[in-house]
Amino acid sequence: MVREIKDFIIKYLLALVLTVLLIVPVLATLFSWLLKAGETGAFTYLNKEAFLLIAKSMLVSSLVALFATAIGTACGFILHKIRIKGSGIYSILLLIPLLVSPYIFAVAWKDIWVILMGNASPVNSFAGVIMVHTLIYFPLAILITGNALANIHSGIEDAGLLVTSFRRMVFRILLPLIRPVISTSYILILIFSLSDFSVPAFFGVRTFTVELFTQFSAFYNHDAAIAQALLLVFLCLVLILSESRYLSSAPFFAVDVKGNLSRTYSLSKNAFIVHLIFLLLIVIAVVMPVCMLLIQSLSGKQNEFLHAFQLLKPAVFQSLKMALSGAVIITLIGLLAAHLQERNHSSMSNWILLGTFILPSTVLGIAFIKFYNQPATAIIYATMLIVLIGYLGKFGFIISRIMGNGFKQLPRSLEEAAAIAGSNSFRRFFKILLPLLFPSLFTGFVLAFVLCLGELGISIMVYPPGTELMPVKIFTISANASQSLTSSMTLISFSVTIFFLVLFYIGGKVLFKKYRYV
Amino acid sequence: MFSIIFDHVAYSYGNRDVLDDFSFCFTAGKITCLLGPSGSGKTTVLRLIAGFEIPQQGVIKIEEGVVSQPDTIIVPPHKREVGFIFQDLALWPHFTVYENIAFGLNERKMPHNKNIITDMLDVFGISDHLKKYPHQLSGGQKQMVAIARSLVLKPKILLMDEPLANIDIEVKNNIIIHLKQLRQENPFTVLYVTHDHNEAVDIGDEIVVLKLGKVIESGNSEQIRQSGRLFLR
Repeated sequence: MVREIKDFIIKYLLALVLTVLLIVPVLATLFSWLLKAGETGAFTYLNKEAFLLIAKSMLVSSLVALFATAIGTACGFILHKIRIKGSGIYSILLLIPLLVSPYIFAVAWKDIWVILMGNASPVNSFAGVIMVHTLIYFPLAILITGNALANIHSGIEDAGLLVTSFRRMVFRILLPLIRPVISTSYILILIFSLSDFSVPAFFGVRTFTVELFTQFSAFYNHDAAIAQALLLVFLCLVLILSESRYLSSAPFFAVDVKGNLSRTYSLSKNAFIVHLIFLLLIVIAVVMPVCMLLIQSLSGKQNEFLHAFQLLKPAVFQSLKMALSGAVIITLIGLLAAHLQERNHSSMSNWILLGTFILPSTVLGIAFIKFYNQPATAIIYATMLIVLIGYLGKFGFIISRIMGNGFKQLPRSLEEAAAIAGSNSFRRFFKILLPLLFPSLFTGFVLAFVLCLGELGISIMVYPPGTELMPVKIFTISANASQSLTSSMTLISFSVTIFFLVLFYIGGKVLFKKYRYV
Repeated sequence: MFSIIFDHVAYSYGNRDVLDDFSFCFTAGKITCLLGPSGSGKTTVLRLIAGFEIPQQGVIKIEEGVVSQPDTIIVPPHKREVGFIFQDLALWPHFTVYENIAFGLNERKMPHNKNIITDMLDVFGISDHLKKYPHQLSGGQKQMVAIARSLVLKPKILLMDEPLANIDIEVKNNIIIHLKQLRQENPFTVLYVTHDHNEAVDIGDEIVVLKLGKVIESGNSEQIRQSGRLFLR
């Protein structure tokens, strides 16, 4: 009986905590709105205009998903199947747009337009959102399709090459094999683009998420905001349903210690063109935005940069503190959720984290404000805890999957051998599993840290008064500040992120050497 | 030396019955080879004895004591005095050869010093590799470390799950000689899973042939060879 209770607690305690913290606020907000909607006439907010706006947002996001998946799949193929010099460097550099907060690129692209074309109005449009989102999200498609291509058994390709040409083998065998993965990439990018608030907000473009934020924060029309949130939640759930099985295991969020086991090909001709394309892509996606941020920052008054630094200084330290706390919490909970899924066959926590991962940040933000704004939960609402819970809801799934895929790479026999040798489950976890999981643990922590550092969607809605976070500060100041001041602040934020990424990369290289046996 | 008794044991993975009303007594002190095609339940028998799996029906006894009964592990794996050589060897990649072998001694709080470990490795001729990590060893050396790791704990039963698959014949013979030598000094019961008929005849004092979770043939090598049934198919 005691053992059964212990097993029950181990299996369901985390799921229960996550349900209370993350799912109950969303459901409570939506249900309380639904119950009152008849009396308050809130259903009227689900009108033709709302549906037209969501259709427009869907169209924009569909185009983003299409372009980003096409570019990402092509890059993923070249980086994982073709032997080219510097592919490692290309992979790392191309990941930067995905790791850095989207608003940084929105500001940078505004600068590019101002500097090169004289004004930013062409980029302050749906076309601008499509372009910037495509450049931000195509690395996700590289990650997803590249992982699938690297795991195709070489024998499958060899058998194809015996009967047909390389080109036909690629189009008839390889691409059809990764078709489900390509569709996952498409859906995921579609949801990310649809949910993103920062890029359209910085461009002043009215998308559904921006409208939702405006209704809630500017007009205090909570009924309208929740009505629209309901529509967005429904849309995201429908989109995700077709891919839920594949997404719940998310094999692409992994630190692959086995390396590329599939076949790679040498490029006898056209190597120059491939390098040229990659360099061009890196210039457009990374170098040019950063350079333009720098130029714009220096173009203002002499002390603009110093002014930006002074404005941002308290926010930098608070953001670092929050990112660190968030990363620790998310890593620990991700580790627990992954352990439960991979070793205890309990996937409830993982599904909860997937559920909040796909919810747009603005929707989560609204739900948290409505639910936690009670005397009993003041300790959460009035403190940074609410931001940390938001980080957990937004990024917990990614980190949990990185850990989960780390567990998958460790044969159970390693733990069984330790059990036979006399280790109890506690010692097995700390002496065998944890050291072997180190690469996944470290990568998960770094990723969580960087993602928390740049998070804007939830932070802007829930941050308690008296606190300052980098992305929120830049966003709020940008409305009335000069472009050069905004750019200076954005450049500082970008530099802080890159500084920590480089620091962790160097630290990781040293630490990973110690774990080279894996 | 411990005998192992399966008494009407049933075990299934999901909807697939692996063992169905399986009863057998593995004789103490003998090398028993479990032979059979893939999916016949050979590895499951070993895992049930080790305590990694729980039977859904029936009981498993080691030396007359019940160690597992339906849905209950009575004696946990580390208290069964068994050694297990896994098919993938399961050497801990973050430990050196020395640490791999010392780990169990430390966990069980068995008194030991470096000599005990080097003596064990000497038997297999790999004592020069104490400071190496598993990935720095050849396939045969890894196999020997895995066996040494189990034997240093002085098990009463050694469970071997196709441990000598995929290594060359010379290394394989070498390991078998060492194993037999160790058994003479310190007798223990061995259950050896293989799908290689010749290997089973060479190594086994007794051979048990499994098919679809049932014993279809058992006896010593000579009896099995004479029955002819197994080798004709």
